Amino acid sequence: MIQTRAIFKDAYRELNSKKMFWIVLIISALVVGVFGAVGLNPEGITILWFKFPSSIFNTNLIPAQTFYKIMFATLGVRIWLAWVASILALISVASMIPEFISGGSIELTLSKPIGRLRLFITKYLAGLLFVTLQVLIFTIGAFLVIGLRGKTWEPGLFWAVPYTVLVFSYLFSVCVLLGMITRSTIASLLLTLLVFFGIWAVYTAESSLLTFRTRGEMRVEKGRETVAKIEQQRAEFEAAAKQSAAAGEQSEAWPGQFELDTKKAALARVESSAKSVTAWHKGLFAAMTILPKTSETLGILERKLITDADMKELRERDDDRSDPPMFPGEEFPVRGKLVAERVEEITRARSAGWILGTSIAFEAVVLGIAALMFRRRDY
Amino acid sequence: MTASAITSSTATPPRPGRSIVDTDLAIDLTHVAKTYRGRVQALRGITMQVSRGAVFGLLGPNGAGKSTLVKIMMTIISPTRCEGTLLGRPVGDKATLARVGYLPEHHRFPEYLTAAQVLDYYASLACVPRDLRKKRAPELLELVGLRDWSKKKVKGFSKGMRQRLGIANSLMNDPDLIVLDEPTDGVDPVGRRDIRAILQHLKDQGKTIFLNSHLLSELEMVCDRVAILVQGLVSSQGTIDDLTRDSRRYEIEVGLPGEVTGTPSSLANALAGVATLTANAPTPPMLGSPPTTNQTTIVTSDGVSAAIPGSPRRAAALASGTISVGGIGIPVSVEATSLTVGSDDPSVVQPIIDVLRSRGFVIKAVRPVRASLEDLFMQAVTDQMTGEVLAPGAVRNGRGTKKGQGRAQTPDGNAANGGGR
Repeated sequence: MIQTRAIFKDAYRELNSKKMFWIVLIISALVVGVFGAVGLNPEGITILWFKFPSSIFNTNLIPAQTFYKIMFATLGVRIWLAWVASILALISVASMIPEFISGGSIELTLSKPIGRLRLFITKYLAGLLFVTLQVLIFTIGAFLVIGLRGKTWEPGLFWAVPYTVLVFSYLFSVCVLLGMITRSTIASLLLTLLVFFGIWAVYTAESSLLTFRTRGEMRVEKGRETVAKIEQQRAEFEAAAKQSAAAGEQSEAWPGQFELDTKKAALARVESSAKSVTAWHKGLFAAMTILPKTSETLGILERKLITDADMKELRERDDDRSDPPMFPGEEFPVRGKLVAERVEEITRARSAGWILGTSIAFEAVVLGIAALMFRRRDY
Repeated sequence: MTASAITSSTATPPRPGRSIVDTDLAIDLTHVAKTYRGRVQALRGITMQVSRGAVFGLLGPNGAGKSTLVKIMMTIISPTRCEGTLLGRPVGDKATLARVGYLPEHHRFPEYLTAAQVLDYYASLACVPRDLRKKRAPELLELVGLRDWSKKKVKGFSKGMRQRLGIANSLMNDPDLIVLDEPTDGVDPVGRRDIRAILQHLKDQGKTIFLNSHLLSELEMVCDRVAILVQGLVSSQGTIDDLTRDSRRYEIEVGLPGEVTGTPSSLANALAGVATLTANAPTPPMLGSPPTTNQTTIVTSDGVSAAIPGSPRRAAALASGTISVGGIGIPVSVEATSLTVGSDDPSVVQPIIDVLRSRGFVIKAVRPVRASLEDLFMQAVTDQMTGEVLAPGAVRNGRGTKKGQGRAQTPDGNAANGGGR
């Protein structure tokens, strides 16, 4: 226990000595300040004493507390903490492993009565201290500002601490492994960012394809409905024609046959296209399964912050607003908002266990390799 | 150290006549070998014993494997093969390290820590309780002369100060065994004297000290025993007295009869009838030059001079041979105004003095002389056949062995030259 405490204390002293820690903390304070400065009223947004009328952002459409929670989840967590602050934190701690295993330094530690595996794990956890402290301080600030300004006290904001640290740990584990391999701060930092750019690209491609797949499926549904409707009309027409024929009247040919054929052909095209998009999406989804899911992990946090009830209320308030089709000229057009809602439902339906389990499994494998290298290497 | 290495060390049966754990030995190593990446043989079977309470010096040229050996003991490098114990526990046992103090070569402390924080941090890793840490840190900073720097960050420390801090750091856990790798590296003469005093103080406390150093004069002053490592093998080990026993001799400095400047042969002539001498070719002494072969043909094989390459006095000898004392031939070498007698027995020197005095020579000085550690070191790293200094570095597999390694200890631990406990 003395040893573990010493390593954490040393990590704290190290980050305390880094300018970056204080810079990030100051920017965090500014972001919290923005929360405090921004307000919402029935007319629109207020920033300090300035008013900005808005037809989208006002308390008629968005309840103030939901607005603040959305602002915290998007601006605070997703953009600032998980993206900008995480990269700044990574810049700060990327040197940890290369410096730790550098000649002259590692001998001092390895010659102590502490097992290498324990040393490695403790050092790794100590490396998460930077982000943990940053997120904790930021969340406390945001909690107080939202509570005082938005008159809503949301202890749920503190879920941001474990989830953001977890997201950072995906990044950090890769950085640690690359640090073990390259022994270079710059190389490990750049390669980590490259790896995560790749993961982000896979994630973005997957979510774009999911939108297209969903849209395709919705168009297929709509197309089938349309064809069914026309066929219903034909059936009705033919029934009427049969009755007329029974009455000895001359029946005319059904005039909608051309339209039906056209729609059927269009449906076949849409179905074929949807099938192809679905196949691509499945492939990317499989790739994504083994990769860490930073965005989706944050999605779980957002679900905790902005509940289904909040979303439902938002949709109800927003329901009367017009929403043009995504591509007006196409066959069986679907409204963009409906597609987005369906995509939202699908992504929200992905279980937290699957998202966290696969991401943590990735992290465990990466760290396991790094730990093995650390244990076996001669210094 | 991997678990397998530890297992292999404990699973091997003990050598005949020795128990697994000899409590009188702080370090007891057998067959320590390390091959890097299957090619570079840093250590080729080291056998080494260090008694408790001793100050042991490890010398060797660059790349001889000194630091590798130390790092194996400190579990920083896992050996290819290792049988042995450290403070009575198998090498590689992490718990033992709580009783060991270590100063690595070229160590680097975190620069954001102050001197006191450095001591506190590493002592914490060595499981030293907080109250002891708080007590010992100022004491040790005082001991190494850094009392006024305890609250200053290491970033501003000079190399010598860092070295002093490193020594204090190695003592924080009040270790039974202290392993110091180049402790005087970068330290000024005053600092070296201080470090020697510290080592003496620790020795008086009964601590075992294992020193790894290039500064032979430093080692000579403090070490009870030394081992010379050459290309991954122990060339020789023992007390300095043991290792220099054969090199002990007497030098007799004389004034020529009537204070007249004599010719070079006059002293040799004076010994005519009692000594058999052969004139040497006048070879100017050169720094690092090997002994001339004509000298070795004259001096008998047990003569000291022949066993000590690099001795400037020998290189300047004008004639050498044997002198008969009590019917026994004693090797001698003669210079213009001095005579070297190849024996450390004072009774052997007396008749020679008598002869010289009877022939009118004034005895100015009679000095017992022995080889220095540097002489021993140079002997170890010089190829006796060619006189070339061995190239530094380890031996590589598949490239044959290097010159001169036949003189070193064989892998089964038998020293071919000197040594013994």
